[in-house]
Amino acid sequence: MTKLGIALGLVASLMSSAVMAEAVKATPGQAVNMVLLPKFLGILPFDQADRGAQEAAKELGSTGTYQYIGPTPENSAAGQIEMLTTATTQKQNVVMLSNNAGDQIAAVAEAAQAAGTKVVTWDSPIPSGKGESLFVAQVDFGSIGTVMADMVMSMTGGAGEFAVLSASPDAANQNAWIEAMKKVLAEDAKYKDLKLVDVVYGNDQSEESYNKALGLVDKYPDLKVIMAPTTVGIVAAAKAMQDEGLCEKVKVSGLGLPAEMVSYTMNGCAPEFALWSFVDLGYLTTYTSYLLATGAIKGEVGETFTAGRMGDFTIEADPGREGAKRVLMGPFTVYNKDNVEAASK
Amino acid sequence: MHPQTLRILALAAALLATVLFFSTQIDGYLSERMFTRISTSAAVILPIAVGQAIVVITRNIDLSIGSTMGVVAYLTGDYLSGHPELHPVLVLCLAMGIGAGIGAINGILVAWGRVPSIIVTLGTLALLRSFLVEYSDARTITTASLPQWLVDLPQANAFSIFGIDVRVTVVLALASAVVMGLCLSRLRAARRFFAVGSNPDAAVMAGINLPMVTLLAFVLSGALAGLSGFLFLAKFGNITVVAGMGFELKSVAAVVVGGVSILGGSGSMVGVVIGTVLVDTIDNSLTRWELVSEFWRDALLGFLIMAAVTVDTFMSRQLSRLSRKES
Amino acid sequence: MTVLELQHVSKSFAATQALKDMSLAIEPGEIHAIVGENGAGKSTLIKIMTGVHQPDRGEIRVGGVAVTLRGTQDAQGAGIAAIYQEPMVFPDLDVAENIFISNRAESAVMNWRRLYAEADLLVAKLGVKLDVRRAASGLTLAEQQTVEIARALSLNVKVLIMDEPTASLSAHEVARLLDIARALRAQGVSVIYISHRLDEIFQIADRVTVIRDGSHISTKPIAEVTPEGLVHDMVGRAIDSFAVKTEASPHGAPVLQMQGLGRAGVFRGINATVHAGEVLCFAGLVGARRTDVALALFGIAPATEGEIKIDGAPVTIRTPAEAMAHQIAYVSEDRRKMGLAMTLPIFANISLASLGKLMGLFGLINAKAETAMAETYRKQLAIKSADTRVEVGKLSGGNQQKVMLAKWLETKPRILIFDEPTRGIDVGAKAEVHNIIRTLAGQGVAVIVISSDLPEVLALADRVLVMREGTQAGLLPIEEASQERVIGLAAGHDMKGAA
Repeated sequence: MTKLGIALGLVASLMSSAVMAEAVKATPGQAVNMVLLPKFLGILPFDQADRGAQEAAKELGSTGTYQYIGPTPENSAAGQIEMLTTATTQKQNVVMLSNNAGDQIAAVAEAAQAAGTKVVTWDSPIPSGKGESLFVAQVDFGSIGTVMADMVMSMTGGAGEFAVLSASPDAANQNAWIEAMKKVLAEDAKYKDLKLVDVVYGNDQSEESYNKALGLVDKYPDLKVIMAPTTVGIVAAAKAMQDEGLCEKVKVSGLGLPAEMVSYTMNGCAPEFALWSFVDLGYLTTYTSYLLATGAIKGEVGETFTAGRMGDFTIEADPGREGAKRVLMGPFTVYNKDNVEAASK
Repeated sequence: MHPQTLRILALAAALLATVLFFSTQIDGYLSERMFTRISTSAAVILPIAVGQAIVVITRNIDLSIGSTMGVVAYLTGDYLSGHPELHPVLVLCLAMGIGAGIGAINGILVAWGRVPSIIVTLGTLALLRSFLVEYSDARTITTASLPQWLVDLPQANAFSIFGIDVRVTVVLALASAVVMGLCLSRLRAARRFFAVGSNPDAAVMAGINLPMVTLLAFVLSGALAGLSGFLFLAKFGNITVVAGMGFELKSVAAVVVGGVSILGGSGSMVGVVIGTVLVDTIDNSLTRWELVSEFWRDALLGFLIMAAVTVDTFMSRQLSRLSRKES
Repeated sequence: MTVLELQHVSKSFAATQALKDMSLAIEPGEIHAIVGENGAGKSTLIKIMTGVHQPDRGEIRVGGVAVTLRGTQDAQGAGIAAIYQEPMVFPDLDVAENIFISNRAESAVMNWRRLYAEADLLVAKLGVKLDVRRAASGLTLAEQQTVEIARALSLNVKVLIMDEPTASLSAHEVARLLDIARALRAQGVSVIYISHRLDEIFQIADRVTVIRDGSHISTKPIAEVTPEGLVHDMVGRAIDSFAVKTEASPHGAPVLQMQGLGRAGVFRGINATVHAGEVLCFAGLVGARRTDVALALFGIAPATEGEIKIDGAPVTIRTPAEAMAHQIAYVSEDRRKMGLAMTLPIFANISLASLGKLMGLFGLINAKAETAMAETYRKQLAIKSADTRVEVGKLSGGNQQKVMLAKWLETKPRILIFDEPTRGIDVGAKAEVHNIIRTLAGQGVAVIVISSDLPEVLALADRVLVMREGTQAGLLPIEEASQERVIGLAAGHDMKGAA
């Protein structure tokens, strides 16, 4: 693109944001064929997203089809690529993707866009942003870093060693959160006594996460907190600490599902953890996708739209990924023994 | 000396060397706590490795073993949440029964369908996982829904000697290896596994019912995967659709390192036990070793398996040359 | 009362009718020989009797009662067992377990001590020295066969089928086996004896049945037949028995020289020269390490001592590829293990060692040339099959041998090593193979033949190299070679009159 082109584009986007100050509202009853494609089928967060997506699709009265399809766990990355390709040949209007295939899927996503199938990511984006119309971010990745750091603060009493138990070494969202947390730790003086000693990966497997958690305890005798930003990892770590009678010494925190975490929160093994609503995430993603597919919004920075019961949202540049755009949902809920029981029902 | 005996001694020496090496590298390595860590973690894999060994001895492979284990863990947990009063022995029977049933499907397809086992079990690996996804409907089995005795089981001590705790789960896993080991060396029917793997054509000529032996191997493998599934459920409590993923490769690694010939016909349960403990010890120790980063751990483990197979091939070639010289 | 009877049995495989209306009755306690050319249907007949195949028509009667045999297990249950041309042992199991593997009378729990003791007894009965505790891997073919015979003996069968049991046994082992067959007969066991060695048949058989092209030709008491008559029945035509060569054929310059050739712990001190157009035969008892010399020459198990010269120049041969570069070809004894890809068609086997010649543009195989070449050999060597697309595993032993020969002939070798070239093939095919060998020598090829069949050695050789226990026991010009002399050298003591 020439300099002139960039300049024109800037002007256009500025103008459109000025003109579109009023939030765009969806026109219900249009035919949009949608596919919700999670990392893989069979675990609770993605099913909750499906519930939210169905709720939105019903409200929008879309006369097109809505499908919730995904690969099986052992075939996640390859399965996602295959399913996105199939959706493209079926001329689906939009695919909502929680990407687990890293940048490998970018080429297929670009082909989908070229064939007229929009690709909207949610939960986990395409790292390079290539082939992606928009990313519906559950929370600001930077702010997850702050919240994780704050939870460690409150559990350690402000000083001590902690370690991170993540999912896989190539999960885009977890990696981004860990980076954000490291940045916060380095920049804000109030965290100066917190020491991140290690980052290990349990690959979202109970058994591996369990063993890794115990390994951390053995390796770092002064460890005070295990921070697990993954729903599988946090339960496995909490179970490991409980089994070894270490809950007094090492606390577990991170991102978890209230239904799975309730017993560990009540017995003090994992006094505090956070999560956002996956139902809301599915709902918002569906609204965004519908508006995009019907042409009501273009997917440009500055556009504002209304997503039903959740209110107004504005498309912005993604601070974590250059050239990519996001819609920020936020916020998340911090669970502790005061609210976890109600949420687990 | 018999080549098998030599192989076991070499393995035991490798295990000892590994333990000694890490004890110089990791503080407090030779502790009761490490014994519990490694023994309980190896206990989950051991039955599955024993089952895999039987199948490999018959010149087959069972890649569905991890999925079988996941399905068993989930179904057993699911059933228990509705019937918490079920007697522990019956729970164990239920788990092993489900596993044996799945093994029978594999066995029938391999034995009578004449489909190579690697194809059949690759198919059931994916099929079982899909079944679990469908069946579970994204529900997680949590410790809250399990009876207390099961949740407490991983912590239960069978006995203690010199301050070292031997857990009930470890005893259960070892028992499966000992029983199968005795069968393989003492039972005429079990010797047929070796015959079939050693020379299938000759087995048919010798009047051995080849399909039946193959079926039995897969049923046993399934039942033992069921036992692993039960131990998995007890240990981790939280069962989702990903339970047991990757265990097929772990079991193959343990079996191959343990000296079972991947071409069938030979192997011993002592070797499988040491192989399992060795692989698990290295895995567990590397996570505690500061010098090795997360990314090198898997590479090191892969290297170890390749080295084991290479050394094994080299050694058996030398041994057969030696024995030829003697004769 | 017959112990085993086939009545009007027919069996077809795809387009081939292997057995046609075959009837056969075995009396209790008789040794019943069955002879026939390659592809006459002997293998199918055995497989029907052992339950491996089921007849399309006709029935099998055991002790007068019609039975259905659905597998070897059924056959063993009915008291019928077989030992085969290609021994069937379990390499990973020890010898004792190999012997008792089929024995259902044994207890469910293994009693290893008793097992070894009983195995020792059985092996001793065969007059063989064999450690019953060692694994069967690495046993020679003869030892493997011993294990198989012991296995059949352990089953206390009523009918024992021996399919070419002596093909790889040395002279005194053959004599012992024949004694065992007689002992079995004395105990009332019937032996069905299948062999191409007519002398053995005349030594032990009570009756002999000739089959040809899947049909029953004749069954007669042995007293009523002559060797010439049998051969006539088998081939349907009269045939010259091979004459003993009396003098060496003319030959050219030395091609291959072995000087003090040896391999540590296996064989040593082999000194011989093979000239162009000459046939050098290696004679010796089983275990004399003759094959190991061939393996060294062909680079499979390279020599560690001494020197190999080709055309007078020293060469090192460490791999088969290097041997082939020197235009050496090796037609091995063990067709299954070293010679042929059983699941590939005839043409692919023939072209396997000479694909380089068939490569055209971009290194692709010229399929037309490949089939044409295979077809030439099929006709020239009279390989019995409809075309060259048939899988080699489906051919009879003799035809497999011809395919292997064709494969090596296509490499246009200057030095051609045959290891037991006529083992397990019938009289007619044997004469054909001998003619081929003579023709090749006549064309100037230096030929080495390893053979346990003394008449064959004496019919082919220009010179005979006798080996004993890994050493060279003697090198005789054909004029000086006699059966007695060769066997005497091979056994290390005078055996005159015993052979």
